[in-house]
Amino acid sequence: MTRHRPFRPFSLGAIACAALLACTPALADEAALAARIEQMQAELNAMKTELQNLKAQKTAAPAAAAAPSAAAPAAAAAPAPAQASGAQTPLPDAMAPAPAYATAPAAASPLSVFGYGELNYEIYPRNRAQNQVDLARAVIGFGWRFDERTRFVGEFEWEHAVTSADDQGEVAVEQFYVERSFTPQLAGRAGVFLIPSGIINTAHEPTQYFGVTRNFVETQIIPTTWREAGLSATGMARDDLTWDAGITTGFNLSAWDPNSDEGRVSPLGSIHQEAQLAKAANLSAYGAVNWRGVPGLLLGGSVFAGKAGQEQPNFPSDGAVVTLAEGHARWTPANFDLSALYAWGHISDTAAYNLTVLGAPTPIPQDFFGWYLQGAWYAWRDGDYQLAPFVRYEQVNTGWKYADLGPGLTPPRLPTEGITTLGANFYVTPNIVFKADYQWFRTNSVYDRLQLGLGVNF
Amino acid sequence: MAFVAACGGGRDDTAAGSTQLSAAARLGDKIFHDVTLSSSGRMACASCHQADAAHATGDPALVVPPGGPALATPGFRNSPSLRYLNASPAFFFDRKGTPTGGFNRDGRFDTLQAQSERAFLSAHEMDNGNAAAFVDKLQRASYADEFRRVFGATIFDNADAAFANARMAVQRFQQEDPRFQPFDSKYDQFLAGRVTLTERELRGMALFNDPAKGNCAGCHPSTRGANGAPPMFTDFSYDNLGVPRNPDIAANADPGYYDLGLCGPFRSDLAGRADLCGAFKVPTLRNVALSAPYFHNGRFKTLREVVAFYVRRDTHPEEFYPRNPDGTVNKFDDLPPQYRANVNTAEVPYDRKPGQAPRLTDEEIDLVVAFMHTLTDGYPP
Repeated sequence: MTRHRPFRPFSLGAIACAALLACTPALADEAALAARIEQMQAELNAMKTELQNLKAQKTAAPAAAAAPSAAAPAAAAAPAPAQASGAQTPLPDAMAPAPAYATAPAAASPLSVFGYGELNYEIYPRNRAQNQVDLARAVIGFGWRFDERTRFVGEFEWEHAVTSADDQGEVAVEQFYVERSFTPQLAGRAGVFLIPSGIINTAHEPTQYFGVTRNFVETQIIPTTWREAGLSATGMARDDLTWDAGITTGFNLSAWDPNSDEGRVSPLGSIHQEAQLAKAANLSAYGAVNWRGVPGLLLGGSVFAGKAGQEQPNFPSDGAVVTLAEGHARWTPANFDLSALYAWGHISDTAAYNLTVLGAPTPIPQDFFGWYLQGAWYAWRDGDYQLAPFVRYEQVNTGWKYADLGPGLTPPRLPTEGITTLGANFYVTPNIVFKADYQWFRTNSVYDRLQLGLGVNF
Repeated sequence: MAFVAACGGGRDDTAAGSTQLSAAARLGDKIFHDVTLSSSGRMACASCHQADAAHATGDPALVVPPGGPALATPGFRNSPSLRYLNASPAFFFDRKGTPTGGFNRDGRFDTLQAQSERAFLSAHEMDNGNAAAFVDKLQRASYADEFRRVFGATIFDNADAAFANARMAVQRFQQEDPRFQPFDSKYDQFLAGRVTLTERELRGMALFNDPAKGNCAGCHPSTRGANGAPPMFTDFSYDNLGVPRNPDIAANADPGYYDLGLCGPFRSDLAGRADLCGAFKVPTLRNVALSAPYFHNGRFKTLREVVAFYVRRDTHPEEFYPRNPDGTVNKFDDLPPQYRANVNTAEVPYDRKPGQAPRLTDEEIDLVVAFMHTLTDGYPP
């Protein structure tokens, strides 16, 4: 089966897949949908020669969707055999535009199963004591289709191989929601679902991104894998424009630990709640749009905001509001895959809290940001084998600015870290990828590292 | 040595709101203040733990309180404040093997009830020797009938049970009387947003917390817990600071005597853990301005001396330790040579060497001290 594929734009398969996906919700999390894509892709491959029909289908299917955030009424079908894929040009789901509401084949099973995982080997030439191998995550998911318009998706994750009171791993429910398509252009969700922010939060499987590990911007600034509990709606405003909106749980700033480095690694990652007895006195709201008016081009952005004090007693900055905004672009001309993203976070009214933790290593930042530019080239293909070297440069600052506390008391801003990553994804099949890259850190070269990885997705 | 006068409190500070205490706690209040329960007839718990001195001795000159029948038997360790002790967990080794919790400076008792046995029985304190001697005094106390009403008419027939209940009553008093944990210091009120700190206090606080400067918060956490709980200013761990030997402790006249904390001589179960020799419990810094003298052996009389010791111990050791006959500094002189490697020399602010600048300047030491004065209970809002 193929759910997440490296992208080669403008191929028939890609276009067909894109058309099929135009009305699907965020794909990273949609196991059931993946199976459907698979099946439909196989059918479309058989129709390659019918170019006229394909063009017609593409026209009918708004090129909207596709962004990782993109979501639209969806319908999942039974998993299709892996051999059914037949796709000649793997396509990252994150880019896949989609058609209008698709129905499940009558004979399809209501159950679908999906999963992914990654095994990584990190090698630090300047600090070999840090070298490690980690089964970073193993994920299994289930989809259940109640009818042509209604389904359930659940995704369950084990991180770091072993989880117990004496081990470092953890088990998490990453997604747990029901979805209903109201019209071909409108669907709603309820439950725990991924926030459509950035490119990889909703397309975070290892076959979906370049590099052994996820980029720093979309882990330290956008806290991938970021999910919240709540209600959401997704739809198509035009044929080339999709939107998402939701009301969800938000961050719990009262859980900020000024003595831990977690808040410096990822300000929002340290206070996200993941539906784990989540404080919910304050809810948050988000909106996202993605435009695909030009073939191969995706432009999108999102804003997430909400109060984060959660009315916890004795928390001095109860009025604080967390805002995370981002804009992203992806362009896939010929055999290239080019992307860019800028994300900015802001936490208001933090002075009162920071005053109570003066001098502590991790005060709450007022502003933090990150951006990256990435270019990949599908340089070689032989059957299912594909090789895609890439380069990425990103900058991240998790403490760009702090609320003013007065001369000598305001925390100094953190240095901006720049990371260059050079590497390649090698696909054995569209579902199995071996990765290798080297990362250079501009200010903390002790972290320079060689990474090797295996990613699986089905 | 003017020990007696300094540690001779009577019962002048019983709980103002004692009617809010349980019956056992009210009895504990009486026992806590009852000097007739000592062999001298002049010493009670309150003698060295005075409420108006944050339940410390209130006398910076009192290095180690003497006790015994004539209040002349020298003690071994500085008497601490009893405030906030109730927050301490029982002794355990955490997941990393760090000794944590417990009562007394070596953590050998698991509860307040258990630790008071030492005070009631030991020869250098209230000097009862055994439970029977203590209970003999207790049943002649003015509140003996009240004790019977609470613990049973025949309670004095069993000395061990009566002694245990008496100590339990004192523990309940310490747990229930809000004066043992009022959380009403200037700093508490600052955290609550009711008062502001002065600029000097704020700057001192920043230095106190800064991991690259004072790093005091490394062992004395100053920030609220994730659940909003007030900071306790101790992580309940143990540290080996290499505090200089104090000649004012009588036992130290014997050059072969060493108080090694966790590994003895008063605690016996960790005697084989040479790596723990010299480690003492990290105390809370709440009310630290009232609890002089400082450290287990009362070596320093003022807070400023203490902070200076922390930051200058490794840059200017000659300021704190005597010299050997050959002129070299006898650093960590209160530890046998084989245990001196146990002293914490890796963390800030100890990670300095002679010739390097201390982590805090003289001015910064004063600022940290200014901040520590905000930790005194009873600040008027």
